[in-house]
Amino acid sequence: MITDVVREQTRARYPDEEGYVEREGVRVFYEVYGDAPTTFLLFPTSPISHSRLWKAQIPYLSRHFRTVVFDPRGNGRSDPPATAEAYDWWECVRDGSAVLQASGAREAIVGGLCDGAGYALMLAASDPAAVLGVAAIAPYVPMLTPPHPSGAHHSLDEMRRDYRSFLESFFAGRLPEPHSTKHLEDCVEWALEGGAENVILASWEAPKPWATEEAARDLCRRVRCPVLVLHGDLDVCQTRARAEAVAELTRGTLVALEGSGHLPQARDPVKVNGLFKDFADSVAPPAPKVKTWTRALSRKRRALYVSSPIGLGHARRDVAIAQELRKLHPDVEIEWLAQHPVTVVLEAEGERIHPASALLANESVHIESESAEHDLHAFQAIRRMDEILVANFMLFLDVVREEQYDLWIGDEAWEVDYFLHENPELKSSAYVWLTDFVGWLPMEDGGDREEFLTADYNAEMIEHIARFPRIRDRAVFVGNPDDVVPDRFGAELPGIRDWTEQHYDFAGYVTGFEPVADREKLRRELGYGPREQVCVVTVGGSGVGGHLLRRVIEAFPQAKANVPELRMVVVAGPRIDPATLPEHEGLEIRPYVHQLYRHLAACDLAVVQGGLTTSMELTANRRPFLYFPLRHHFEQNFHVRHRLERYGAGRRMNFETDGPAEIAAAIAEEIGREVEYLPVETDGAARAAKLIAELL
Amino acid sequence: MAVELTSPQREQTRARSPDASGYVERDGVTLWWEVYGSGKRTVFLLPTWSIIHSRHWKAQIPYLARHFRVLLFDGRGNGRSDRPAAGYEEREFAADALAVMDATRTEHAALVSLSQGAQRALVLAAEAPERVDGAAFICPAVALGEGLPWRGTYSWDDELDTDAGWAKYNCSYWLRDYRGFLEFFFSEMFNEPHSTKQVEDAVGWGLETTPEVLIATHGRDPLDTAAQAELAGRVGCPVLVIQGANDSITGPGRGIGLAEATGGELVLLQGSGHGPHARDPVLVNQLLHRFLERLR
Repeated sequence: MITDVVREQTRARYPDEEGYVEREGVRVFYEVYGDAPTTFLLFPTSPISHSRLWKAQIPYLSRHFRTVVFDPRGNGRSDPPATAEAYDWWECVRDGSAVLQASGAREAIVGGLCDGAGYALMLAASDPAAVLGVAAIAPYVPMLTPPHPSGAHHSLDEMRRDYRSFLESFFAGRLPEPHSTKHLEDCVEWALEGGAENVILASWEAPKPWATEEAARDLCRRVRCPVLVLHGDLDVCQTRARAEAVAELTRGTLVALEGSGHLPQARDPVKVNGLFKDFADSVAPPAPKVKTWTRALSRKRRALYVSSPIGLGHARRDVAIAQELRKLHPDVEIEWLAQHPVTVVLEAEGERIHPASALLANESVHIESESAEHDLHAFQAIRRMDEILVANFMLFLDVVREEQYDLWIGDEAWEVDYFLHENPELKSSAYVWLTDFVGWLPMEDGGDREEFLTADYNAEMIEHIARFPRIRDRAVFVGNPDDVVPDRFGAELPGIRDWTEQHYDFAGYVTGFEPVADREKLRRELGYGPREQVCVVTVGGSGVGGHLLRRVIEAFPQAKANVPELRMVVVAGPRIDPATLPEHEGLEIRPYVHQLYRHLAACDLAVVQGGLTTSMELTANRRPFLYFPLRHHFEQNFHVRHRLERYGAGRRMNFETDGPAEIAAAIAEEIGREVEYLPVETDGAARAAKLIAELL
Repeated sequence: MAVELTSPQREQTRARSPDASGYVERDGVTLWWEVYGSGKRTVFLLPTWSIIHSRHWKAQIPYLARHFRVLLFDGRGNGRSDRPAAGYEEREFAADALAVMDATRTEHAALVSLSQGAQRALVLAAEAPERVDGAAFICPAVALGEGLPWRGTYSWDDELDTDAGWAKYNCSYWLRDYRGFLEFFFSEMFNEPHSTKQVEDAVGWGLETTPEVLIATHGRDPLDTAAQAELAGRVGCPVLVIQGANDSITGPGRGIGLAEATGGELVLLQGSGHGPHARDPVLVNQLLHRFLERLR
């Protein structure tokens, strides 16, 4: 099957309304997002792509405008008519008009890319009452100027023979920016959904809307509304001269993007989103509202803490760091931009959660959707989170533009760190980056491709830091130099440890709790008897761990036979429904447990995944534990494992080969055992806070 | 040797000199105007209470003039304009403004006003809408919204037995200790810490006119609350109100009330007094630029 379609990744935002318009038997699929008073209609391009091409714009724009997108004839969920006439440019324009009407809007700001920008201009010229303004990226207006000299003389035979390889080279040309692997993959997948024949019909065989340069110029002159033109100087599809001609003839504004190719909405979404928003605001000023600005010396000291929601672990350590920071700056107000399940911990601690947090696109849900049986390809899951990361960065940006903070703290806040380096002019506060691992690493079965991709991601990060050292005022590694893996960032790239020592401060490990002084007292408090052999089974905050829980529960009868004093406590966590787990006599299943670390400190054995937080809590409390790294999870399989081996902590298990019998045997061998782990420091939070406090 | 009370200090070096300037005479009163820059849009910086003159816009002019054509004039009673004995009604100022626009061939303009200038701006925006593209108000002195309770404590025209605080806002005191009044008034206007230069500037401009002129300007306001509310309701152009939240001259309630009455945008400045354009010029310049740039 040529179209080998990849499952659509989690969206940052789903439509509030969707439907079809039908014209002369052709059905066109559209989506509506948001309910703001002003409508923003985004045209698709030719059937070489579909409406997902706007995925980095929709979540942001729909917070400010009612955003309408539709799939072109021949791709996405729109019909693929079989005649060239059905792909006439004016048909595409009329589709846009019909979609606008169906969505209930009388007028809109209209955006488009390449031929889509051509459709937008045609709509503005032919139905001026419907169009408030046109935002045109790399506009394609046929005949207006000579085509791009590197313009392809694509062989239709080649397209038909191997469409994927045609697309790979076609889109590689349109994404000349380094490190565009994900954008390229997206474009190829979307194109494959439509197939080559529809593109050949639309782009080669369909009638062009006019035949002369003068007709093209006349079309542009008939556009009377404000026009914004964006053009990348590395665009090999549309020339600068054409963009200039459109801007000049429509009396519009041209924004030249240097170093950009044909698809800046994908590759530089933050910049394009800002330009679209400013343009739309100038065309249709938003309703007046009250804004506040506070004089510099009248401001309170304020920090915004962005805590990664992937796993519950960061929440605990971030709260500990925040508490230490308040000791050093008692007047500092800390607000949190965070989402479930981090907010569970923050609420329990009485921390102040910024109300915009409710608008964050949920990352945990995405991570769960990417996981299979005890399997999470963490690197690909992060890549397939690109839309969510842009959406959440745009929200962060709105928050820090509305309100004044002295400091931004991002604990593995990938979106903040990445897009600040991509848009360094947006940094308007001190900024601290925290992480407990450095370097994307390939899994063995990922082959050359994964080796290339992880190295490419590492290279981009290294280039970001080298070029813009001013972005991270502090980079804090949660751990010690010995915790850094000995690998290289890639074949041609530096060693991770050397580089990390040069670019990070080391806070030591941050457990987020005081070590337990009197374990017997704690056991009594928690209701664990002195003779009981307590085994706590937990899989952290995400829903990925259901399969491991089930397997350990399966091992329970045999384990109980081996260890008669065994008391097994299974903690399902906030995202797994305890009712879905099998029950056994003598087995306790609990939902979320507040201060789980106290149970882990009190137990005689724990069974966990390979996540850092939980395994290090066990290490700090000197408890024996079995850990099962998630398959394909590079962080658990390399970074965490390296750290645990350094501490001499835990017994690594293998989900592939260790069944209930092996687990029961391991429980019997490990439970209650005295361990000889390296000690874990207890001043990590204070050290991290001290590094951060210097910036306030 | 007698010290002349009103001897102005030599004007400090300007960042930008006018590209054109001159006088226009209306009803026997001569008014001094200046034009800076040559942008397509004209920004008209209106006079405020004649206690100061057009130099109070000094932090706006050089910046705005790089983007717009800036027009301003000294209101009757101060600066290089005449100081007639009477004729300080709001509609006189509005008529002066139109005369200046005519003299400088300014068909229409966006208005920016401070404090008392708001009333002239309201008259122009409501009654000559074809000549007004938009109106930005800074700490407007209008009778809309809530005022400050202590402003009504002392009589203005009775002899008082105290000079403390707002008792200085009194006609006898003005005649007795004009500089004392100016120093008090402008310390209230610029109540942000570290505002010495802004106070000195304004006191200096105040000394360029006389207590007699200020007395003539006082109480000549024919616009009562109802009239102002009616004018505000008729304003059809875009409106921006910039209001200091610590404004101790007219109070933050006035700007909030004007924004509500006109349906305009309100920017509230925490920690700011009555003269944010002088005390926080970078912010106010950006707010004005953004507002002016978006006008059709």
